[in-house]
Order: sequence, then C-alpha cells, then structure tokens
Amino acid sequence: MPYRLELTGITKRFPGVLANDNVSFAVKPGEIHALLGENGAGKSTLVKMIYGIMQPDAGEIAWDGQVVNVTNPKAARKLGIGMVFQHFSLFEALSVLENIALGMDAKIPARELEARIREVMNTYGLLLDPHRTVATLSVGERQRIEIVRALLLDPKLLIMDEPTSVLTPQEVEQLFDVLRKLAAQGCSILYISHKLHEIKALCDTATILRGGKLVDTCDPRQETSRSMAEKMIGAGLKDIVRQPGRSMGKPKLVVSRLSTRKTGHFDVPVDDVSFTVRAGEIFGIAGVAGNGQNALLDALSGEIIGDDKDAVTIDGYPLGLLGTTGRRKHGLCAVPEERNGHAAIGDFSLSDNSVLTARDRLGMVMLGLINSGAAKTYTGKVIADFAVKALGPGSTAGSLSGGNLQKYIMGREILQKPSVLVVSQPTWGVDAGAAAAIHQALVDLAAAGSAIVVISQDLDELLALCDMLAVINLGHLSPARPVDGVSVEEIGLLMGGVHGTMEGADAVPA
Amino acid sequence: MQFRLEKRLEPSRLMLYATPIAAVLLTMVIGAVIFSLIGYDGIGAVREIFFTPLTNAFKWQDLGVKAAPLIIIGVGLSIAYRANVWNIGAEGQYVMGGLAATWVALSTYGMSGWWILPLMMLAGVIGGAAYAAIPALLKTRLGVNEILTSLMLTYASVQLVYYLVRAPWKDPMGMGFPQTRIFSEAARLPTIIPGTIVHMGVPIAVAVALIAWFVMSRSVFGYQMKVVGAAPHAARYGGFSENKTIWLAMLVSGGLAGMAGMLEVAGPFQRMVPGFPTNYGFTAIIVAFLGRLNPLGVIFAGIVMAITFVGGEVAQTSIGLSSSATGVFQAMMLFFLLAGDILVRYRIKRVAPAAEARA
Repeated sequence: MPYRLELTGITKRFPGVLANDNVSFAVKPGEIHALLGENGAGKSTLVKMIYGIMQPDAGEIAWDGQVVNVTNPKAARKLGIGMVFQHFSLFEALSVLENIALGMDAKIPARELEARIREVMNTYGLLLDPHRTVATLSVGERQRIEIVRALLLDPKLLIMDEPTSVLTPQEVEQLFDVLRKLAAQGCSILYISHKLHEIKALCDTATILRGGKLVDTCDPRQETSRSMAEKMIGAGLKDIVRQPGRSMGKPKLVVSRLSTRKTGHFDVPVDDVSFTVRAGEIFGIAGVAGNGQNALLDALSGEIIGDDKDAVTIDGYPLGLLGTTGRRKHGLCAVPEERNGHAAIGDFSLSDNSVLTARDRLGMVMLGLINSGAAKTYTGKVIADFAVKALGPGSTAGSLSGGNLQKYIMGREILQKPSVLVVSQPTWGVDAGAAAAIHQALVDLAAAGSAIVVISQDLDELLALCDMLAVINLGHLSPARPVDGVSVEEIGLLMGGVHGTMEGADAVPA
Repeated sequence: MQFRLEKRLEPSRLMLYATPIAAVLLTMVIGAVIFSLIGYDGIGAVREIFFTPLTNAFKWQDLGVKAAPLIIIGVGLSIAYRANVWNIGAEGQYVMGGLAATWVALSTYGMSGWWILPLMMLAGVIGGAAYAAIPALLKTRLGVNEILTSLMLTYASVQLVYYLVRAPWKDPMGMGFPQTRIFSEAARLPTIIPGTIVHMGVPIAVAVALIAWFVMSRSVFGYQMKVVGAAPHAARYGGFSENKTIWLAMLVSGGLAGMAGMLEVAGPFQRMVPGFPTNYGFTAIIVAFLGRLNPLGVIFAGIVMAITFVGGEVAQTSIGLSSSATGVFQAMMLFFLLAGDILVRYRIKRVAPAAEARA
C-alpha cells in the first residue's frame, strides 16, 4: 500500500535562512504523525508547502504514490488535504453555518449544507449549534467549526497546526477522541506541536525538525518526553534550580476587589478579583486565552487606573490610583503579553526601549533630558546578563528574534530589581533554551525576596514555576491553592468554568 | 499579471535620506516635460524656478525671508506629526498668531519701548496655541478627528481677518482700504542686514529648528512624541498619556505657527491686510515631510520650498508662467516624496495569476 503522503528532499530557502533543508518523511494512511520542533524549526514552512500556500525550491511531494504539484490551497483541498490553522479565520458576527458556507469552494444550498454539517458533527461527536453566533462561542468551540469545515471535504489527510494551545485539558481530550476516530477510518493526521506529552498520548510516529533539518523520525511511545525534547533543542535540558526549603515572607502584593470596566465589544474585563502574593512567592494565574488576562495585567501595571486606591497595595502602600510610572517608582514592574508595539517598540533601538520603562527607577532622566549613556550602559548589562543575541544596545528591537526580544524585555524589568513583578505569557513563542533561562531568572528574583505574578495559558509552565495557583475565567479569579496538591483535572475544570456548562445546555445535535 | 506591495524587512537608511533628493530631481524632470507638453518652455521653467533664485545673489534675501516662516511652522508640524497628531490647520494658527500680534501692535500704537516686540511675540504664540487648543479639546474630549477641525478652523480665521480689517481695525487714514494702519516703529521687526529685507525672523527660524532638534533627540518630551507616534500601546505601558501628548503636540505646533504669524505681520507686512493668509501653513506640511519630520531636515526643506516660491515669481515675469505653476511644482514634490516612501518601505512583487488547480 503506498504512503498517503511522501516528501522527498524538500528544500525551501528564504533570504538569509534555509527554512527546510532536504527534508524527507512519509505518512501512512490512518496514521497520526507528529511534526515536532521548536519555534523557527521550519514546521510551518513545511506544512505550507504541503497545503500549497508555498512551493518548495527543490524536492518532491508524492500523494498516494503519485508525484503531485500542489499549486495552491484549492488544489490541496481537491486532493483531499484539509488544514486547521492555529489562528482561526472566522467572522465573529456571523453564525456557525454562515461561516462554514463562506469557506466552501463549491456552492451548496444552505439546507443541504446544514444536514451535512449535522451529520459530520454526529459522526465525530463535535457538539455545536450551527445557528449560534461565533462571538458567543468559546475558543474550543470555534476550533470545532474549523475542524467541521475541514471534515466536510472528506479529507484523506488532516493537518492540525498547534491545535491545543488554546484549549483546556478537557477540551484537549475531546479533540483527541475526534482525531483518533478519524484515524481509525483511514484519515491520516499530521499533528504539529511542541507539547511532548500530547504527542506521546496521541501519535504513532513523530518527525523531529531542528533548524530546518530532519533530526529523527521515532515512535513517541518508545521515547521519554525528555529524550524527545533534547532531540528537539539539540542539547541537554536544564532544570529549574530552586533553593531548597525557602520560606515565604510577609504579604507583599495585596489585590482586593479589583474590577475594570468593559471597553471593547469583545473585551473581557476583570470582576472583583482579590489575591495576595507574599515576598519570595511566585503566584500563577492560569486560564484559557481571552478570559480577562489582558485587563488584569493592565489593571495591575497601571495602564488601567481604577477608582479605589486600595485595590492594589504593596507593603500596605496604596497604588490603586497611580499610573504605570507611579507604580514603577513604588517597585511594581510589569511585562505585557504582546512584545511588539506593547512591551517594546520595534523601530527603536534597545537602548531607547530601556528608556521606556527604566528611566525613572534607574535615574536616566535629569532635568527633562535623557541620559543616553546611562541607558546604553544598562542595556549592555541586560544583553550580557540575559545572553540576548543582539549586535549591541544600538540594534533595533524589531531586528531581534521573538525569543531574544523576550529575554531582553524580561531582563530589562528584572534587573530593575522590582519588589513586585507581574508578567503575562513570559515564554510565549520562545524556544526551550530561552524559556529555561527566563524561568530561572524568575525563580532567582523570587528567591531574592520579590513577589511575582505569572499569568500564562501554559499549564506546564505554571506547574513547574509557581508556588500558588489560581484560575481566571470570564474575568473571575478562583481561590488560590498551593501548586503541590493540585491536580491538572481540577485546574482544567476551573479553566473551562462557565463555558463547560453552557456548552452542554446549548449544543443541539441533530 | 498582478502586482502586490510587500513590506521590506528593514528599509534602507540611505534611501530614507535619498528619497527627498530624488523627489526634488524627479519633480524637475517631470515638470519640464509637462510644461513643455502644454506649450511652455519647460526647461526654462525649471531653470527659472529651481536655479535662478540660487544663482542670482539678489534673490538670496528673498529666500531667507520666505524660508523663515516655512521653517518655523514646519518644525512645529514635524513635532506634532511625529506623535501622529495631524494638525492640518497651521495656516489658521498662523493667521491667529498674526492677529494677536496685530492687536498688541495696535493697542500700543504710538508707544515706544523694547518690550513691545517681545510682547507681540508672546501674543502671537499664545494666539496660535489657543487656536490649536480647539481641535485638541475636541479630540481629547469627544474624539473628533483633528484633521477636519483644524482644517476647517483655518477658513474661520481667514474670515476673521476680513472682518477685522474692514471694520474695527480699519486704518482711519487709509482712504477706505481694508487694512490696518502701519505699525509704529517699535512694533516693526528690524532688518538685521542693512540694505536688505532680511529681518530678525530669519535667525529666529534657524534657532527654533536647532532647539527643536535638541529637544526632540535628547529630552523626555521628544521621546514621548516619538513613542506615542510609533507605538501608542507601548507609550501607555511606558507611562505616557495619549491625551497629554495630543495637547502638547497641538500647543507646540500651534504656538510655533502663531510665532511665524507674528514675525510675518511685524516683518514683511508691518500691518494686517486681507492678503495676510499666504498659505505658508499649508506649504509647511510639505516642508515637514520633505524634511523627514526632522527639525534639521526642515531647514533644508524650507529653503527648497522658498526657492520654488521665489523662482515661481521669477518665472511669472520672465517666461509668463502662471502663478499656479509654483503650486503644481510643490504638489509634485510632495507626491513624488510620498510615492518614493512607499517604495522605500515596500517592494513591488509580481504575482503570477493563480493557476488552475492541477493534480
């Protein structure tokens, strides 16, 4: 029996980078095949060529034993290749049915389409009401629309690009059930991820890419997560080093009844959030994206200023009415989730980016003038201490890779020795080496007596890093509990929160 | 065949500075072609407009006097535009500055003293800034687009000039002409080079540009303008209020336009006349962009624009070109500059038409 998909010697070059270098592997019918690699390893480029978004510079793609030329996504769909992207392309104001109809290549009458959608949903247990407006759906439900859209075409190969990064653990399990059912019926699945335990749980074969080259094709069930991670980053993995037996100090950051107002139409405000972080403690806030994390970070950093001075206090000092500058002067530094255009300015040099948040705490301003020498020295120190790969303080922030920019941003805040540091998604899109360095720096800062709040969607990160954990859902924060005694299922249920129950009540299978 | 614009990874530094020069050169070439095609001496027009003012030493003083207000207003606009605050109404602020200075001059008519000119200067700056405060207030309080309000206020200011010179401020001895009386000696700008028309405004313009350059490159104020313009979200994170920035940008650009108005009314005009609004405020928009929103660049851009004004007048008499020709050349310059900027930041990519699906 021929391979469903076979790649031979695929090479793709971009100006300055070899994105894929002579990559060959094959996917059998009904196989769940993982494509594993760090950010920038070339997974996305490879998949884009399979789906016809790009053309390879060299090498060939064979489909069911025939060499094919996939000129565009339409041709790929015609062959039987479906793809679910990491970022959904859905119109929030339209219904599920309308969104699916818009994405179809062929014109199908609405009634017939609805019948087929219900059929697909029933077969695979994808519960969803076709008439609901997308804006009212959770991220997991939105992903189901994309999956249904791909399944309507009876694909023989389904490509899933990082599908679980936005899901709760329970939603991940449901997704895996669907994928296993599909595979059992002979559909091959190409599953892109860097989450090793998922790959171990789901996949039959794993192809590992590093720096555009194929490193290994292995059976993930025979490997340990650690051995695969080391193949992925090409070096030994460093563990977080913690000082044993450290004790927490007095309450440092106290947040009480913090609320924000709703601003945009699809924006989630925080509602009556209270928690306490002690000196030396790392406090984790888990949650599925879009549950008020951004508003919470802005309300803590001072970008959103409330009307209660005691909503945020450090060592009893009220900060609630101060803006970001005032809060920084009192020792509260913050790192927002979005690096480009929020935490840093791409067109500015790193040195000028240091002025953005460090100017007052480190005395870079005298009589209204900026001491660019001091900014340059400080930036040089950040680059050296955090091993930022940059030509120097004069490099523009935009010229750095995501991981290096994040190391610079974290370094810029941590070296200011804040007594409270609030970070959102500290290792989002950062390679494993940089992520380990950032985690270690946070642990060290806590060991020095600072209180740290980490807001993240990556549960593994929070479990490894934090002392206390709470979950944010629709702007509400659950009570905090010590990370040692907490189960993933429990956290997962909290993350699903209200969504989980609404889903059960509303979904109408045909 | 289809074409598509694709963003360049890093725009070339060299091209960033070369495009203004290329825009001026292209303007000359295309201008010569166009005016030849419509039956004028195209090459002569370009020669008269761009080169005669430079080769004829007698025209240099005109260049200085024309460039001064363009530079002062252009510097103010370059600061505001850096912060993405689009003050299009510098002409109105220039007029209001001129009127405020005129009010001081008429109120102190017949008096003498060194303090009169500084007082007029102060009035001019306040007048311009106050007029720019209206769009700032509307923008920060009600979210009204400052482009529209500042532009429309310009026309209101021109009507105010017409009213004032025809009624309350009309020269009693002026035989019915709609104009104010000539300011007294103490309210007129002294010339600084004897025998020429070069007045105090010329060195002031250069000083304003140098100070603005220093402030923009070294101070927290300049940093704030640039951050808000480049990344408003990051500016908020860095502790800079967007509304405060809008106010600062509007007041500074309006104040400088008002200062230019004072220098014009106390220098070349020496009285308020209906012809006082001379579009310096609009031309300065081109100056600000041609100067790459950099105060030092604005000095050169102001001189280039002054050349086209002076040259345009030369061409009117020597080869009978209409006065509108100057406007055509200036507009072409801005057009080529903006088009060039697109090509510096983006590249044109040819896209083959989507091939039919082949399997």
